[in-house]
Amino acid sequence: MFKLVVQNLLSHPIRSLITAVSVAVALFLICLLTSIVTTLQSGLAAASATRLVVMSSISLFVDIPLSYQERIAKVDGIENIVKWQWFGGYYKDQKNFFAQFAVDPERMWAVYPEVKVDEATKQKFLTQRNACIVGWQLAAEFPEWLETGKVPITGALFPHPSGEAWQFDLAGVYRSEAANFDNRTMFFRWDLFEETLKSTGDAPGVGVYVMSVEPGADIERMKAEIEGMFENGPATVRCDTESEFTRQFISMLGDIPMFLGWIGAGVLVAILLGAINAMLMAGREQTHDVGILKALGFTNSAAFGLLIAQSLVLCLFGGALGIGLAAALEAPIALAIGSAFPGFFIADSTYIQAALVSLGVGLAAGAVPAWNALRVNCVEALRAKGA
Amino acid sequence: MAESMIRVRKLTKRYQRGGETLTVLDKLDLEMEEGRFYALMGPSGSGKTTLLNLVGGLDTADDGELIVAGENIAELSADELAHWRAANVGFVFQGFNLIGVLTARENVELPLKLTPLSSSQRRQQAETALKLVGLGDRMDHRPRQLSGGQEQRVAIARAIATDPKVILADEPTGDLDRKSAEQVLDLLVRLNREFKKTILMVTHDPAAAERAQSIVHLDKGQLGRIEHNQPVGAAR
Ligand SMILES: Nc1ncnc2c1ncn2[C@@H]1O[C@H](COP(=O)(O)OP(=O)(O)OP(=O)(O)O)[C@@H](O)[C@H]1O
Ligand SMILES: [Mg+2]
Repeated sequence: MFKLVVQNLLSHPIRSLITAVSVAVALFLICLLTSIVTTLQSGLAAASATRLVVMSSISLFVDIPLSYQERIAKVDGIENIVKWQWFGGYYKDQKNFFAQFAVDPERMWAVYPEVKVDEATKQKFLTQRNACIVGWQLAAEFPEWLETGKVPITGALFPHPSGEAWQFDLAGVYRSEAANFDNRTMFFRWDLFEETLKSTGDAPGVGVYVMSVEPGADIERMKAEIEGMFENGPATVRCDTESEFTRQFISMLGDIPMFLGWIGAGVLVAILLGAINAMLMAGREQTHDVGILKALGFTNSAAFGLLIAQSLVLCLFGGALGIGLAAALEAPIALAIGSAFPGFFIADSTYIQAALVSLGVGLAAGAVPAWNALRVNCVEALRAKGA
Repeated sequence: MAESMIRVRKLTKRYQRGGETLTVLDKLDLEMEEGRFYALMGPSGSGKTTLLNLVGGLDTADDGELIVAGENIAELSADELAHWRAANVGFVFQGFNLIGVLTARENVELPLKLTPLSSSQRRQQAETALKLVGLGDRMDHRPRQLSGGQEQRVAIARAIATDPKVILADEPTGDLDRKSAEQVLDLLVRLNREFKKTILMVTHDPAAAERAQSIVHLDKGQLGRIEHNQPVGAAR
């Protein structure tokens, strides 16, 4: 009987191939879309509820004064504070996009223990004023940095007084194990940043302050205290936990998860219709064969099985192909879309979901023809041949 | 007299067409002896195919008693009937009705899948049946690659593969040339003589009917005369 299933599929190789490939493409896309959503969500889940972020109450793009750092550090429960400033430069060409931040080197690891570097890198970053560290993915994209030890960055927002690119020495590569801290960012020292700019103009402001909090501290009280401290200016701030802060980014992405969900659903409906059509055709062609099988003594359920099995073989084969492709391409995709979706990965639950979807498509596409086969009246089916 | 293999009592079959009821078989009584070769003749539309399908359990009667191979098949459920068919009847049709995507051997093996035989036993039995019908050298051919006469012999091999008691053939030579028809008839006669199969063959061809031991005439759903080419109950 399995032979008959396979032979029937092979008797229309083009149709079977097209159906299987369309299922494969659809499942590949579904894996991809689902993973983008899970990647965003896992960033959110990994964001700490015990780190605090202070930013301007107007917008993330408005700086806050440097002088706030000392006052915030005195708030009861603050363990460490590090400032971040968005540098907004580029390497050689505008299209080489990645984030650069000026940070306080000495407190970086106190606040972000999940960012791993080796000891030599850390020492160099702590002692050498023009040192920088880069994420491993970024280092892989621009291997010349490791070769030469130099990272020249053109300051688009903050041009170097010399009119040239900023010259950084590469201290080493970091590797983040947390989903909300990507491996495609460059960090350099705040003191270099501040003094370089001060030599010709005004000292820069700060983008955000990030603070680690002592265990057991009352987060809500601290948030209120910090916001209250600067209520009367010069710049009002808001203080959120890191997870609240990250959530804003994701809501800045708007309804992207839902939108992706709709695309996935649309893809699913399209292949379902395609697969149903293919199976209905197969069912019609095999009506006469089903009549023969029944005459030979095969039961109605066997006839049902013949059609549903063809649909399942086709869709599960296509599904396996698509899922396999997604698994094989996970790393290259992660690299390709890393700047938009840092830490892209395909969760095991996504593979399981995709396998269930192929199973569902197989059952749904085979259901009607299989039901028709079950009800075939063998006398009529045999007469129908006309001979 | 030998045991009866097919016993039909007051068998009635009607079809609804539009608002009309067409009584195709009207309280038909018929008895067929085990191990005998019957030809069933009659004008077109007289109900020959209908009777054959009822005897073979492909169709269900509206009324009457139908005992075939010792089973009252009018009382069986659809699944029971399917199992009964698999074990007791082999069909040969005018249009051969082989499965196009399968080879000759696979077609013959198909009904054996409903038996407890192992796959090597099935294969062996299918090959034996194909050799018996003279197609030992065509086992891996698809129906499309065979002549009509060869196709019909594959169908006969399929019908006997499970060693059923009864073979029902509906105009098995209707689509064949004289020579192929003779081969098929020779085969049926041999199955009857050597393997003691009870055969009921519908035919329009008097020459074909002559090869049977008895000729049953059917007209407008009623039994006509029965001719015996060989005496009933005679040693075969
Ligand atoms: N499914 C059906 N619905 C309605 N009428 C039917 C159906 N099947 C058969 N009939 C009618 O029953 C009658 C007997 O048909 P049957 O096929 O048994 O005749 P037959 O003796 O085999 O004829 P032929 O020699 O042409 O094959 C015919 O009048 C036919 O039109
Ligand atoms: Mg007929």
